[in-house]
Amino acid sequence: MPPVLRATDISKSFGAVQALDKARLTVERGEIHALLGANGCGKSTLCKIIAGTVGRDTGEVLIDGQAAALGSPRLAEEQGVALFYQELSLVPQLSVGDNIFLGREPRTALGFTDRAAIVRATEALIARVAAVAGKGFTPDARVADLSPDQRQLAEILKVLARKPKIIIFDEATATLDRRQVEVFFDILRELRAEGISSIFISHRMDEVFAIADRITVMRNGQTVAEFAAAETDRYAVVYAMVGETGAIAASVRDHAPLKGDVRLSVEAARAARLGPVSFTAQRGEILGLGGLQGQGQKALLSGLFGAEPFQSGRVVLDGVDVTARRPVDAMAHRIAYVSGDRARDSALPGRSIFENTAIASLVRERRHVIPGAVFRERFSNVLAGLNTRYAGLDAPIGSLSGGNQQKVFISRWLSPSPGLLLLDDPTKGIDLGAKGDFYLLARKLADEGAAVIIYSSEDSELLSLCDRVLVLNGGVVTADLSGDRLTPFDLTRASYGDAA
Amino acid sequence: MTGFSKLGGRTWIVTAAALIVLLVVNTLLQHNFLEPSVVQSNLTTFLPLVLVAIGQTYVILGGDIDLSVGAIVALVNVVTVTVIASLGGDGMAVGLGLLAGMGVGAGCGLINGLIIAGLRFQPIVTTFATSIVFSGLALWVLPQAGLPVPEPYWRTYAGTILGLPTVYVIYLVAFLLAAFLAARPFMTRLKAVGGQRTAAFQTGVDLGKLRVSAFVLSGLFGAFASLCLTGETASGDPLMGQSLAMSAISAVVLGGTALAGGVGGVLGSVLGAWVVGMIGSVIFFAGLPFEYQTLVQGLIILAALAGGVLVTRR
Repeated sequence: MPPVLRATDISKSFGAVQALDKARLTVERGEIHALLGANGCGKSTLCKIIAGTVGRDTGEVLIDGQAAALGSPRLAEEQGVALFYQELSLVPQLSVGDNIFLGREPRTALGFTDRAAIVRATEALIARVAAVAGKGFTPDARVADLSPDQRQLAEILKVLARKPKIIIFDEATATLDRRQVEVFFDILRELRAEGISSIFISHRMDEVFAIADRITVMRNGQTVAEFAAAETDRYAVVYAMVGETGAIAASVRDHAPLKGDVRLSVEAARAARLGPVSFTAQRGEILGLGGLQGQGQKALLSGLFGAEPFQSGRVVLDGVDVTARRPVDAMAHRIAYVSGDRARDSALPGRSIFENTAIASLVRERRHVIPGAVFRERFSNVLAGLNTRYAGLDAPIGSLSGGNQQKVFISRWLSPSPGLLLLDDPTKGIDLGAKGDFYLLARKLADEGAAVIIYSSEDSELLSLCDRVLVLNGGVVTADLSGDRLTPFDLTRASYGDAA
Repeated sequence: MTGFSKLGGRTWIVTAAALIVLLVVNTLLQHNFLEPSVVQSNLTTFLPLVLVAIGQTYVILGGDIDLSVGAIVALVNVVTVTVIASLGGDGMAVGLGLLAGMGVGAGCGLINGLIIAGLRFQPIVTTFATSIVFSGLALWVLPQAGLPVPEPYWRTYAGTILGLPTVYVIYLVAFLLAAFLAARPFMTRLKAVGGQRTAAFQTGVDLGKLRVSAFVLSGLFGAFASLCLTGETASGDPLMGQSLAMSAISAVVLGGTALAGGVGGVLGSVLGAWVVGMIGSVIFFAGLPFEYQTLVQGLIILAALAGGVLVTRR
């Protein structure tokens, strides 16, 4: 019998970025298949291609030995592929039952919605998870009134109701507690017994070895290893994810960290899906936040800046409580924040470079009238120092390349220079030359005494830039890596919650 | 969950309470308020607003808005009277005129829907623009008010069908139509489209078709309202129904349908339309000077809306 899914030679580019390069994936009937890899290895893209939400450039996907047309989510679903979404596919205003059967409502002979059938079928589905469903999880309950983990369960039930051949679970256990994960695994095993296959993406190595039959590892858009879970161990898997331990670009990191005093201390910070997190950062230290995407790194940075304030906890900078309720509080204490999502978080689109630069100073210095001449001179100097190429301060921000735009957004925070610089995946989508300038700038600011905290989705960036890396998994710090332990292997291993 | 909660939130409770208060006040102001003939005459007055509000409910549930219904009412009216007049005014002509009117209403809705769902224009701006176009067309079809409809038309409207007053028959048909739609998957899917568009899309719901259908329904119910108004005025008027769109939106919101979409239902909108209508008659019979009427009507609607919002928020 052919495997239920065989994808071969799958390639996909997004612009200049090659997300997948002849990747392959084979899933047998009735198996739980874990798909692993570091951030940006292409595992999500591969899943999206199989689920029909992203088109492929080249390659072939066979389902039950037949060439599958996967042009849209609906086509993929008709061929038995279902993708589990994280809360995105539920309509909060509708009931659990209406959500599960949305678009495929059972009908009476006259074509009316068969409400009794929906309630019956939903009750049968809920019975499968009765042990963890919790209070108020009924077919008639509105999804908006459910707790986050109940929504996750509803999402799983919605997928199950489609009776697919292959289910792709992308981080399905992220919001579940231990007991709910057990129930989820029971569901997976039950599906396996029914001959249904699951593709399981997880950020917890324990889970992978607890549930998976086989493991496929991806790196840089390619499939690099396939294991039977029973015949391998986690070291082999982590090695496959990391590859040849490459030479670390030592230029930036190769210096003795300042033996400075503690500048920043964070005590038991908590937010939604974060914490409690406690750590300190020293004067002149570049502290990295590592781990797989979405483990609370961004929440930590935006909490420190007050954009999404912490629910509890305390932040102390130079002995002063700087726990921010709003960004303007943070700015008053010389805390700066640079986001990698420039379009969403940084740019004043259509406005001039000058305005984009001056905006933070206007707020911080409580200016109501722009001191044009003073600011122009100040920011011309700052931008020149950053090696920024631009036609003139009055050119629109959109006329610059991504890398030069990012320099403008950093320059906002450089006069006076910041005490704490928060960098949220700051080099996303900028060219190599600008990245180099950027690293040097971060190092320079740290050497001048600033505390720098950087989150990056690229492990190599953290490894080459940071003095120390805190690895987050599920919203808590699982490892604190520095010195000899700051290696690709340890970082990847810790990312999967497998701290030594 | 009871059936009532399907009306949407708790806003409808406030609206029902407002309705009762208005009934009591009206009964005190007009001693014959509860006589069958007066009830019928009031329900006749409210009927166009009720119909427009029903149609508007579908559009708002789908997360859109239709500001052009007032203009559709005018356009349907002038097309209908013109068709009837040019075909000679006999029974056949009236029938064709009614069909032409409904066709125009549905067609206007279709245009709105295709522009908004197909070309992805903003509904509020688009329907504002098309309302100007429809008004312009109405003036082009019939530049001046006039052109009376034949006697059988308005006699039937004011009379009875099978022993029931025609107006009640229209209410009944409208309710049956709404109940029919509410029992079909259409309604759930429309709420999904208005509630969380990305979720509906990922689930494979055909967003475009549903949004266009909602606009067609709004246009069609606008046409029904126009044909009723024509039965009352018995003539053509290119400026008819101008305030209907806004009153209907107030009625829908009063009835518990969220302007953001996804929550609500037709029954609430009907209650809301009656409330808006009765506010008008209370002010009139309270003997308020004419120049204050609109102002007071606006303030009462605002208060009723605020009450609904506050109750829902709790």
